[in-house]
Order: sequence, then C-alpha cells, then structure tokens
Amino acid sequence: MSENFNIDDVSNLASIELSEDEKAKLQKDLQIILEHVDALKNIDVKDEKIDIHPLSKVLELRKDESKESLKHEDAMMNSPETKDGHFVVPPSIE
Amino acid sequence: MAKKIPSISKINELFQNKEMKPSELFEQVYETASYTESVLHAHLELFYDEGLKLSKESDNRYSKNESFGLLDGIPIAIKDNINVYGYKTTCSSKMLSNYVSPYDATVISSLKKAGTIFTGKTNLDEFAMGSSTENSAYGPTKNPWNPDFVPGGSSGGSAAVVSAGSAVASLGSDTGGSIRQPASFCGVVGFKPTYGTVSRYGLIAFASSLDQIGPITNTVDDTRIIFNEIQGYDSKDATSITPEYTKLENKKIKVGILKELMQEGVSKESQNEVNKVVTLLKEKGHDVTEISLPLTEMALSVYYLIAPAECSANLSRFDGVRYGIREDASTSYEMMNKTRSVGFGEEVKKRILLGTYALSAGYFDEYYGRALKVRSKIISDFKTAFDKVDFILSPTTPTPAFGFGDKTKNPLEMYLSDLCTIPANLAGLPAISVPTGLSENNLPLSVQIMGKPCSDYSLIDFAESIEEMVEFNFSPNLLKEKNES
Repeated sequence: MSENFNIDDVSNLASIELSEDEKAKLQKDLQIILEHVDALKNIDVKDEKIDIHPLSKVLELRKDESKESLKHEDAMMNSPETKDGHFVVPPSIE
Repeated sequence: MAKKIPSISKINELFQNKEMKPSELFEQVYETASYTESVLHAHLELFYDEGLKLSKESDNRYSKNESFGLLDGIPIAIKDNINVYGYKTTCSSKMLSNYVSPYDATVISSLKKAGTIFTGKTNLDEFAMGSSTENSAYGPTKNPWNPDFVPGGSSGGSAAVVSAGSAVASLGSDTGGSIRQPASFCGVVGFKPTYGTVSRYGLIAFASSLDQIGPITNTVDDTRIIFNEIQGYDSKDATSITPEYTKLENKKIKVGILKELMQEGVSKESQNEVNKVVTLLKEKGHDVTEISLPLTEMALSVYYLIAPAECSANLSRFDGVRYGIREDASTSYEMMNKTRSVGFGEEVKKRILLGTYALSAGYFDEYYGRALKVRSKIISDFKTAFDKVDFILSPTTPTPAFGFGDKTKNPLEMYLSDLCTIPANLAGLPAISVPTGLSENNLPLSVQIMGKPCSDYSLIDFAESIEEMVEFNFSPNLLKEKNES
C-alpha cells in the first residue's frame, strides 16, 4: 500500500502548499512511517467491530434547547477580515 | 530564593493558619519563574498582573475564613492548547500566533470556581504533536535537571514549570503520553485520567478519541486534588461520561508486569525501576505476576494511523477564515493553501498528510478502518487482563530524557519514546507516572501504572503507596543552583 503514496496528490487533498525541499523530506519520512504501519496487514481483523469511543459510549446530542452561547462579535473577533458581521474571503471563483 | 514547593494540602494548611498568604506564594513562584525562564523557556506567557490581583482576593477570603477549598490561591500553569478567556492560545504554532480565547475551557471554569490562580501558559510541541517540545514554533523548553536534555513532550513546558518550582502544578493534555512522558523526564507526577472523565471542551483538538486533559504535580496527592476538581460530566463534550468510579476493597493488590514493555526497545535502566518497585510491592505482600498482551507491540502503528487521521480532520478548521493567520492570495483556495503552508510546522504537516492519506478514497479501509479494528482488539485484551490483575505496571518511558536533536533525524525514533504510554490512550485507560529514581547521568526515571476504566481514584491511591515506598526526594539541578546563588 505504502508504495502508492504520492506527496503531490496528498498535499493537494490536504490543502497544504509544499516547497520542493519539503516534499523530498516529507516523502522520505512518510514512507518510513507507512512501511512501519504496514505491519498491521498481518493481523486478522475479520469480524472485528469498531469502537469510536474507547469506553464504547454512544455519543449523545444535547437537547435542542436555546441557551446562552458565544456572542456573535466574540466568535468573529479572531478572524483576519470581517465586514458587517460576516467573514470576508478572497473570491472563490477565478 | 527558590524553595522546594510544599504539597497543595500543606500550602492550604499554611494559608488556613495565616502562616503564608496566597499573594506571597504567587510572588514566590513568579520570582522563581523570572530566574528559571531565562534558562528553560517553559512559559510562553506569564499572567503576573491578573495573578497578583486574584491572589490578593484569595488573601481576603482566607483572612475571613471564607476560602473556596484546597485549591484556593494555588498557582497553576496551563498548557497553551487550553483556552483561558482573554488570553492567547497559540498551541505553540505560528498558525494561532494571534488567537485570543473568547471563552474558558470547562477545566478552566472549574479551577476558577475553586479559586486557583493561573501563572500563565506553557510551551508545547506544536498542536501537541511531539515528544520533546522541539516542534514548538517558539523554540524548545529545556529540562530543569539538565538544560542539554529535552523536557519531553508534548506538555514539556507544563512538566518543566512544576519541576522547576515556577508553578505548584500544571495542566497538560495527553494523546499518546504527552502528560506522562514529560512528567517522567522532569521527575514529577503526571496523570492521564480515564477517557471521558475530564471534559475536553476548550482543549484545541488534536485526536479527539485519544486526547485527555490531566494534571502534572509534585505529589500524587496534588494530582488527586486537581483531578477531583476537573473531573465530571460535561454536556459540552459529546464524549464526556458520568463516571462511576470503582473502589478497591482488597488491601492485597494484584499487579501485572507487562512483558512487552520489559524487553528489547526499553532500556535496562527503565526496566530496573520497575524491578525495584516490584521488590517493594512484594515486601508489602502484594501479588505481582507477569502478563502478556502481544498486540501492545502494534500500538504504535495503530496510534500513528488513528491520531494523524483525526488530526487531519480536526486541523482542517485552520484555513485563514475564522481565526489564525492569513496569507494574501487572489482566490480563497490559494489563500487556504498558502496559509496552511506558512502556518503549520513540519511535524504538523507530516501528520496532516499522513492522516489525509489514511482517510482518502481507496485507502480508508486498509489504513484507518484496520487501525480502528486492531484498536478494538487491544481494548478487548486489556479488559481480559484486568479480570486477572488490578493494575498494570511498566516503565513510563523506554529511556530517560534524551538530548536535543538526538531523535529528529528519523520520525520513528521520536515516536518510539511514547512506546509505553500509547496503549493507555488507545484503550481509554487511566494511567499515572510516578518518579522512582535517577539514571546514571542523573536524569529522572519513573514507573507507569495503568488501571481499568474509571479506577482513577484507586489508581491514584495505589500510586501514592508506591510514591511512599520509593521516597523520590531529588531536586533538579536548576533549583539547587538557584539556592546556591
């Protein structure tokens, strides 16, 4: 599996621009890690269930009740750019 | 002059008897910090003005005999991935260099209600990814026992401040050992509670099914006091549980020694600490047996698929839109790519890429899905083991603290320093590290005790009995040097 790893495809999926030096270093490091984790292939996991919560707790949703929450301006205060209570971003379509 | 800090119970006694005021203690730890920080770089920010103001309010409460309890007036440091209202939470990342917390984490609200004073925010590996603080965008923290060595990580700053006496205790977070490993390297106590017993609300998420907040302290009793205050159900955390803590009635404890953590890959020095404790336990009449959980050898591989997968999802929120830095670009897509390129450091990028790959179409089942299934098998193995023993004993770390740069060439070498601590995170178990001795080159060594889920209080009781048996009474060189200066 690990031989199929392509740094360009994955960095594109992860939305991270990488320099050529970074690509070379990360490709090498990730290959080492992927070869290591390939050992899991030898373990029989047929019919094994998956625990999302380590204590097998079923995740709960809160009741649909209106409660005091973060103020709008507090939620916006860390944004690099806002206008009239909205986040401002560069154009999405070229 | 730096003094060895007494236990929280002892400090509270001094406060109650009017032999010391909280503001005097705060000034003492701040004075220590102003000396040690120039060497250690353990705090990223100190809250002097607010800390002094709040400690004086605590003075007043004690003078009127109206204190809030044991933690009133106790100076505690907070890892910089936990939100404290009105202060920066940088996660030691350039990405969040300008982020100011708009709310308190639940653990912070609990400690504030208890009258705790915060000394400041502590350094960590960027977004808690690392084992040495060498991945901090603001420079590494040094080990108070010897500044040529790492303090461990990711909660290296939180461990160093307690060890150096610039805080009475601290909060860290533990995803694969990030509380216990640095606590061990710095000669203090580190506790990862049962998953779900301490709210993660307000902790900047790394790997949500593994992250837990916990205390780093000088004594096991201090750990008990802080855990008592921060534990409990929180509706703001969907993974929070209502803990039903188990009690141990039997005074004769059954202890399992995990064979897989007492073999090649773990130094003789670390193994010897376990053997030393085993001898003491047997002298006290406890029952010690070797147990084997072969799949723990796969724990590192499981962890390095699950943690990066969850990290890649959690860190997708850092896109230059709602918080953090932004790089200028002509389109949103380009802006996000550039922002994430500039904002994240190498280790964080590595884990995001690894997780993205493990979750991508065609590889999901073979990587992430398979890792989750092996994790379930590991959980099941621990359940079976805890039918036979009350606690499992192992070294906390394969070696004592290592030098700067020693493990940065090959990622696996660094990851292997969490070999002994990762299994407890995968299985959601409570686990505590207790210092037991010094290595040949005078660096601390510890043992780790793991318990079954929700055995937190009996685990702490048992750890306290080990603490009493081993009598670890050493101080880091930095404190000795300060006392002599």
